[in-house]
Amino acid sequence: MKKLLTLVLAVAMCLSAFGALAETTLKLGIYPEDVDTAQIEAHDGMFIPAFEETHPDVTIEKAHYKYSTDTFVPMAEAGTVPTIFESWFTEPTKLISNGFVADITDELAERGWLDKMNPSIRDLLSDENGRVYGVPRDGYALGLMINVEVFEDAGLVDENGIPLYPKTWDELLEVSKKIKEETGSAGLCLLAKDNAGGWHFSNIAWNFGATLQIQDETGKWISNLNSPEAVAAMEFVKTMAQEGILTSDPTSEDWGTGFTQLGTGVAAMYIAANDAVSQPTFNNGLPADKLMMVPIPAGPGGSYSLMGGTPYMFAANATKEEINAALDYLEVMGKAPVLSDTAKAGLEEDARYRKDNGIPVINEFPCWDDDELVQARRDVVAEYANVDPAMFDPYFDAVVEEGNLRMEEPQYAQEMYFELTKVLQAVVTYENADVQDLMDKANANFQAILDEKLGQ
Amino acid sequence: MSEKSVAYRAARKARAARELGAWLVMLPGLVLFIFFLWEPLLEAIRLSLYEAKGMTLVRFVGLQNYVEVMRGPDFWPSVINTFKYLFWSLIIGFLLPIAMAIGIHESSWGKGIYRTSFYLPNIVPGLATVFLWRFLYRSDASGGLNMLLSAFGIAPQNWLNSAVTVIPMIVISMTWKGAGSTALLYLAGLQGISPELYEAAIIDGANVRQRIWNITLPQLYNLMRTLLILQVISVFQVLYEPLVMTNGGPNNASISMMQLVYRYAFDKFDYSKASAVSVIVAIALIALTLVYNKVNKEKDM
Amino acid sequence: MSKNRAPRQGAVRNYDLRKRGVKIGYALMTLFCIAMALIALMPVIWVILSGFKELKEFNRGIKAADNHYYMHFFPQSFSLEGYLDTWNQMKYTRYYINSFIVVIGSVVCAVVFNGLMAYGLSRLRPRGWKVVYALIMATLMLPATTSVVPLFINITKIGLSGSFVPLWLIMGANAFYVVLFKNFYDAMPNSLLEAARLDGCNNWQLYFRIVLPLSMPINMVIVIYAVNAAWSDFLLPYLLLNNTKLETVMVRMFTYRTSDRVNNMDIIRAIVFAIIPPILLFVAFQRQITENVVSAGIKG
Repeated sequence: MKKLLTLVLAVAMCLSAFGALAETTLKLGIYPEDVDTAQIEAHDGMFIPAFEETHPDVTIEKAHYKYSTDTFVPMAEAGTVPTIFESWFTEPTKLISNGFVADITDELAERGWLDKMNPSIRDLLSDENGRVYGVPRDGYALGLMINVEVFEDAGLVDENGIPLYPKTWDELLEVSKKIKEETGSAGLCLLAKDNAGGWHFSNIAWNFGATLQIQDETGKWISNLNSPEAVAAMEFVKTMAQEGILTSDPTSEDWGTGFTQLGTGVAAMYIAANDAVSQPTFNNGLPADKLMMVPIPAGPGGSYSLMGGTPYMFAANATKEEINAALDYLEVMGKAPVLSDTAKAGLEEDARYRKDNGIPVINEFPCWDDDELVQARRDVVAEYANVDPAMFDPYFDAVVEEGNLRMEEPQYAQEMYFELTKVLQAVVTYENADVQDLMDKANANFQAILDEKLGQ
Repeated sequence: MSEKSVAYRAARKARAARELGAWLVMLPGLVLFIFFLWEPLLEAIRLSLYEAKGMTLVRFVGLQNYVEVMRGPDFWPSVINTFKYLFWSLIIGFLLPIAMAIGIHESSWGKGIYRTSFYLPNIVPGLATVFLWRFLYRSDASGGLNMLLSAFGIAPQNWLNSAVTVIPMIVISMTWKGAGSTALLYLAGLQGISPELYEAAIIDGANVRQRIWNITLPQLYNLMRTLLILQVISVFQVLYEPLVMTNGGPNNASISMMQLVYRYAFDKFDYSKASAVSVIVAIALIALTLVYNKVNKEKDM
Repeated sequence: MSKNRAPRQGAVRNYDLRKRGVKIGYALMTLFCIAMALIALMPVIWVILSGFKELKEFNRGIKAADNHYYMHFFPQSFSLEGYLDTWNQMKYTRYYINSFIVVIGSVVCAVVFNGLMAYGLSRLRPRGWKVVYALIMATLMLPATTSVVPLFINITKIGLSGSFVPLWLIMGANAFYVVLFKNFYDAMPNSLLEAARLDGCNNWQLYFRIVLPLSMPINMVIVIYAVNAAWSDFLLPYLLLNNTKLETVMVRMFTYRTSDRVNNMDIIRAIVFAIIPPILLFVAFQRQITENVVSAGIKG
């Protein structure tokens, strides 16, 4: 029995060793999902042939992988992670500290890409020593999405048909009451089911003047969830719940259902980022020209937009050749700070796809400082425009303002969101919820997590 | 060498061959059990005693994972909730199938219809059941239950958004799936009761209530015991219902121990702690079973 | 189905019904049964009807003159278009085929391997069988969710991830099935087996020529259980098959939790797709399932 097992293992190991001797294999986790016909066409028809022409020694393995926390570790342990894959904005810290992704600093430096990366995004993808582990696909910043149809039904539009959107949280409360009265729809879809709830809330809290984590002079990280500002923000959530302007049960809403509520008009407004405009429209049936994006309402503490990016990351066991092949492929796709011919064609193809499928064609968030690339993007957007720029200008105008963009809180953001979400749940559920007390508890819990994780 | 010892040796040889043959028959099954169940379980126990990076053991830390797990903010809520699940599943789900079985058995018409419809939910795959009930429990007018209420002019209810009712609500969805098949088990038990027992009781002048109390239920007693412990074991491992329906909310009111395992393993990549919690679950289950058996034995004596 | 009134065998007899109290109790019981039957059926009917709706109709309702939206129980149209769209876009034909392959292999493994194991434990009983049996019984009790990760790693190490084989084989190691088989074999008359043994059958011949064919009732039960289990399983299949071309219907459904390319209607229809095959199976074998399976379960 044991012998047999050893034999099987030995054979398996020989086979994999043999595999390693062969030519470079690029296991392409960013290859599109099989329902994504248009994207598959772009890869099969343009990117792969163009890549193979310049890389005859590289074999491409189409291995679509949608990152998810429950599949990733088993794959990493088994060494089956694709050479390159897309992850989430929340994941790099965890992936880096567990040694699940490859350090690509040297490869990026050789290509001169390091300096072109938007510095705050680069921070997000680096470890504490400044080594870089990923490249951004695109960046995003949170804003407020608006279902224009609901605003129309509620009579909340100006003479040009542009919604009279709320600019502060107090205005949002008033606008929502009107919407409720006129249409029966909820004003805002607030999330309180999983970590996305705390994620959105941290942006609200900033606008109320809160900073959720601070580092004292000794370098120790202090959880700051129960500051007066953060409590005020949470009190405001409670007010919104008690005024009945939220959807019927925020504790059942997560990132995806929020878009359904917005897209079908059950809610008029929803906090979301510019990279997700296909969600309310293509996925949930809202016509492209009925979607508006504005900044998150300002609070007493100002106006901020939480910024992040979708990273490409690389398997820890990928060789230098494989990593370079993957970076070359990004170049072909136009996801690198290099404007190739295929990249231009790819940009057009993408815009055409969006236009054909009722997804707003809007500007991307620049995550590479490369003027040529940025300009090429702008040209394509202008050519395929399918929405009134007035619907997105308020958002784009706000995020370019100095100091508006803000990165996520630096330490163990997911754990912090989880604690905040529990408070959100209690606040929207119980009329008598004691906000201060709940925030104190969440603060204590999170401080304990910080102390344990950071060993401080 | 005496003849006796030759015969003895031959017999021993034959016996050894027989033993070997028997083990050979069981070998495929044994290999599968070892590979798919036993070895991974041992691996999980070992993991719970180590600090690990992913699945790679870094160093032995003894019971430290257990201590840290118990200090975590979600551990005790999950323990208490797990017992709440148990409590409510016994209240809602234990007697109901017995009543359903008696109902089928005593009905003079519609037996087939009852049997088929009671059993139907059981063939709906577990994951589909969870998704389905999530839609039924939706809190606005689109939820299935709220549509039913609106037919009676009642406003939409927030089914899952209350720390008091969220667990009973989840248990109802579990009962929906499980009660029918359990009822049919009891029905088979009822059909095994000899009619003569009832006739004897009738002659003794027992009324219907006395007949059910003194004959029907005692005859089901053994079956109830078995099904009770099976129910306890399965409810103790409740996972996908809270995971998909509430994600443990509101404010940890429905998080279960197995969900904590899932969260450690698949959200936080912390397999050591995940293993620690599941070992605790396993120990609790074994303890419950032992206590239960002991109590039963004492009763039987 | 009861064609005529079955003779009353239970606690209540016809003449009891002359009494008013019993009559009321009996009526209440009938009401209870009808209510339970409705509760059991309604969710399934609801989800099938909902699948005909359009997203906005399902999620928000139909717009009325006052700009408010109202829900309706029945869909506006019974066109199959929505179902077909989801089926085609999500490529369900392939997932159905994959699921069927998993189910068939699982059923074979479940019957043969557990059967052989039980045969050894019940009939051959080599020295030490009790230890094995105790270990098997203990497995009934332990949660499998955590060990799924070490298991996955073992499977990957021998190069079997992304394949159906482990999903088939794992059904060959099911403690519950072993117990059911063992109970059945325990009750099998010895004479037949002895006769065959005297005819020179070895263990294997004995099992495949005598025991297996003689165990049709229990085989049938295990087949039905295994079909159901293999069709419904998703965690290990998800880890092994996700992002290959081999995903099963249930794996597909599990990925909907985190997918950003599906909407509520896709999920509603996916639920319907997931329950159609078991319902068809149930309709076809209704009698065997509600009677045999149950009586087998009771002994186990």
